[in-house]
Amino acid sequence: MYNILICDDDRDIVSALDIYLTSEGYQTIKAYDGREAIRAAESHEVHLILMDIMMPELDGIRATAKLREGSNVPIILLTAKSEDTDKILGLNIGADDYITKPFNPLEVIARVKSQLRRYTALGGAEKGPGLITAGPIAMDDGAKVVTVDGEPISLTPIEYNILKLLLSHPGQVFSSAQIYEQVWNDPAYGSENTVAVHIRHLREKIEINPAEPRYLKVVWGLGYKIEKGA
Amino acid sequence: MKKLQYSAASKVCAVIVLLAAAFGAGVFGVRAVLSFGSVADDSWQSSSRFYSAREDRRRELKEGIGLAWSLEALEEQIKAGNADATLRTDAEALRENRESLEQRFFREATWFRFRLMNADTGEVLGTNLAEGESLFKTVQNVHRDIFELGDRDIDDISYYDPQTGVGYLPPDSNPKGETTLPMKLVLEYGVPETVNASVQDEFYQLQVAWGEERANFDMYLTGFLNLGALTLAALLWLLWTAGHKPGEESIVLTWQESIFFDVYAAVMIAAEIFLAFSTVWTAQQLYWGAADVYAGMNRDFEKFYQLGVLGAGALFAAGAGCAALLLRTLVVRLKAGALVRTTLLCRVVTWTVRTVHDFVRFLPITWRTALGFGAYVMFTVWLFEVGRYEGVFMLIYFCLQVVLLLFLGWWAYGYYRLRQGTKTIAGGNLEYQIDTRRMPHDLRLQAEDLNNISVGLAGAVDEKMRSERFKAELITNVSHDLKTPLTSIINYVNLLKSTDQTDPKALEYIEVLDRKSQRLKKLTEDLVEASKASTGVLSVAREKIGMGQLIDQALGEWEEKLNDHSLTLVTTLPEGETWVYADGRHLWRVIDNLLSNCAKYAMEGTRVYLDLERGKGQVALSVKNISREALNVPAERLMERFVRGEESRTTEGSGLGLSIARSLTELQGGSFELAVDGDLFKAIVTLPQAN
Repeated sequence: MYNILICDDDRDIVSALDIYLTSEGYQTIKAYDGREAIRAAESHEVHLILMDIMMPELDGIRATAKLREGSNVPIILLTAKSEDTDKILGLNIGADDYITKPFNPLEVIARVKSQLRRYTALGGAEKGPGLITAGPIAMDDGAKVVTVDGEPISLTPIEYNILKLLLSHPGQVFSSAQIYEQVWNDPAYGSENTVAVHIRHLREKIEINPAEPRYLKVVWGLGYKIEKGA
Repeated sequence: MKKLQYSAASKVCAVIVLLAAAFGAGVFGVRAVLSFGSVADDSWQSSSRFYSAREDRRRELKEGIGLAWSLEALEEQIKAGNADATLRTDAEALRENRESLEQRFFREATWFRFRLMNADTGEVLGTNLAEGESLFKTVQNVHRDIFELGDRDIDDISYYDPQTGVGYLPPDSNPKGETTLPMKLVLEYGVPETVNASVQDEFYQLQVAWGEERANFDMYLTGFLNLGALTLAALLWLLWTAGHKPGEESIVLTWQESIFFDVYAAVMIAAEIFLAFSTVWTAQQLYWGAADVYAGMNRDFEKFYQLGVLGAGALFAAGAGCAALLLRTLVVRLKAGALVRTTLLCRVVTWTVRTVHDFVRFLPITWRTALGFGAYVMFTVWLFEVGRYEGVFMLIYFCLQVVLLLFLGWWAYGYYRLRQGTKTIAGGNLEYQIDTRRMPHDLRLQAEDLNNISVGLAGAVDEKMRSERFKAELITNVSHDLKTPLTSIINYVNLLKSTDQTDPKALEYIEVLDRKSQRLKKLTEDLVEASKASTGVLSVAREKIGMGQLIDQALGEWEEKLNDHSLTLVTTLPEGETWVYADGRHLWRVIDNLLSNCAKYAMEGTRVYLDLERGKGQVALSVKNISREALNVPAERLMERFVRGEESRTTEGSGLGLSIARSLTELQGGSFELAVDGDLFKAIVTLPQAN
């Protein structure tokens, strides 16, 4: 039984989120501005916070910064701002994830679940010698098992090998040709676009919203990479 | 002290002290000067006043002798009986004159002693010596005058001192030969060295005055020096306080300073010279006037003497006043640092220089260059002409070359600085201001104009930045205000869908709501993006990216979706990777929009051609497809917002795709073209190639 704090100055959005989350079996606490959110977080046991950025009194970014002073509860920002800088600022200030408005309820629930799993299963997975992790993704190379937030996913051998290549070099950008040569062990002769298709499939399996990937990122015109420290 | 310097009362006091002290000093000074002769002379008989008085007596005596001689001749004529009444009255007048003169030379009337002798016979014709008194004993310095009666021109005075044997006698002093008329006479005369009060004539008075003056000289000098020092002190005080006024921090200029200094000084110096001459003249008048008083010729002079001394004092005071005025204005000008510029000379020179300067500036630079060069050539030729004979002119010629070199160097350096500054400004540093100090005039004008342009540009850029920021904020806020209610709509439609609806119509309506809200979402997102792209609010981070890689990635995203629409992708890529400078995310959006267009509008079962070409430093990516509907709008219209290939707006798509694609391409420094040929739709994205 988890307590989720929903904070948005638009009451209808708060009610909608409340309905979704309650139907998923979570308990909700409602707040309508940053100050209320901080007060609620202090007086209740809260396991996750959904926070809007643009709010009167105290905006989401400031509230997040305040909350982070004494708590590591997962915070997901809801943002109508499509500026990349806002998202980056939010993540830097201590938010764990973000969802852009207008959002899809399914995406919200998926992200909430993901964050809660990561928050509660903290340090649960053993860091064995063959274990490679990046954010929620964990690859046990010995058992050839890949989990996302602890949920095992099934990958084809090629997808597995691509993911392994990227995971073992987080932050490094691999071009399609490089991936092809490393995974297929063949020189690339213009047949790389299969790599792009494989990556897309891989993204669909790993990411909650493949159109807005958080971990397996496309660097347009250069290649692909696993986000460092994600 | 500071207070005193600014006090007006202290100045008034100083002026009064200055004038009074100068007056006193003048009085004492004149007296001292008048007395100085007596102090310098060991004997009262050495002064020129004494000589003058003695000579006056001699001349008087000789006049009397002449008078007596004329009278004798007249009386002889009267005796002869051939005299008329006029002659008799003449004789009477002459007799009276002779008597009054005679009285002046009585022993009781004067200390002047004389003996008149016939030069030939040595017979004494007249004397005022006492019986048996020796002239040489009474008078130490005997003077001798040999003359002929009737011939006034002979006025030979010789000096002979029998005691010392100094002096000489004229060669004809004891002439031999015929005695002819007119008679030759010898006048011997002198004044005893000491005279007493028994006879109070001019000589006695001169002796008394000599004694008095000797006695008082020290007092006069002391008085002069003390009062002079006081005058000087007052003057220094005035100079120290000059230009300071209560309540004024800086030096205050008065009407005096509005007069040109050189003119003022000339007038004042002329006045000083006039006053000095006046004083000297007054002193001389007093000196000789005193002698006249003693001679009893000008009895009133005693009064005038005192007045004269006071007058000299006043003249001296006036002189000191003038000097004080001149020094005061000089000091004030120096204190205010305005000495040079308040001179007429400076004004004239400045005016001349400025007029010439303005005239030269007024000339166009071409004329100035031509005239300057002409003058230079003429001067050089002249120097050569003269220099053939005079080596000095060759030296001048050499100096001229050095000056010319320095001038050209100055210009070149100015130009260099101007060039550097222009380069910096052109390089984008609009804040940069060219340093125009010590630049040639023409270059300075240029530099100042450039500086003004850069200031204007910087302002314009600043203004643009501000408006961009405003636009960015506006778009963000509008986007937020649109998205917030949209979020509720989408979510509540979703919730509605999960409710139990028995009415099939309700289900149908919900379906419409769902579809339209999704479309609204897409439209909103595209609208915000289109606004951002077209206003240039988007940040563009250009880097070197591979077009081949990007197309490959794009195909990875789109190939399956296109295949679902029965579209076949045909790509033609050049050998090797093609690098361009672009922002990967924006370029992806361009390609994404183009391929999305293909998916939406291309006729099913046709091929979509994706060609990449490079050449002339440009990279062109073209996307060609066959439109499903007839394209009844020109290519340009297609790029306008909300315009789609078909008029009915039933299909998906916002009509913003191409507009966004074009804006994004242009943001990255590329160009975006559309071509429509029948049903063939062609989009070409051209970007600068990177090496």
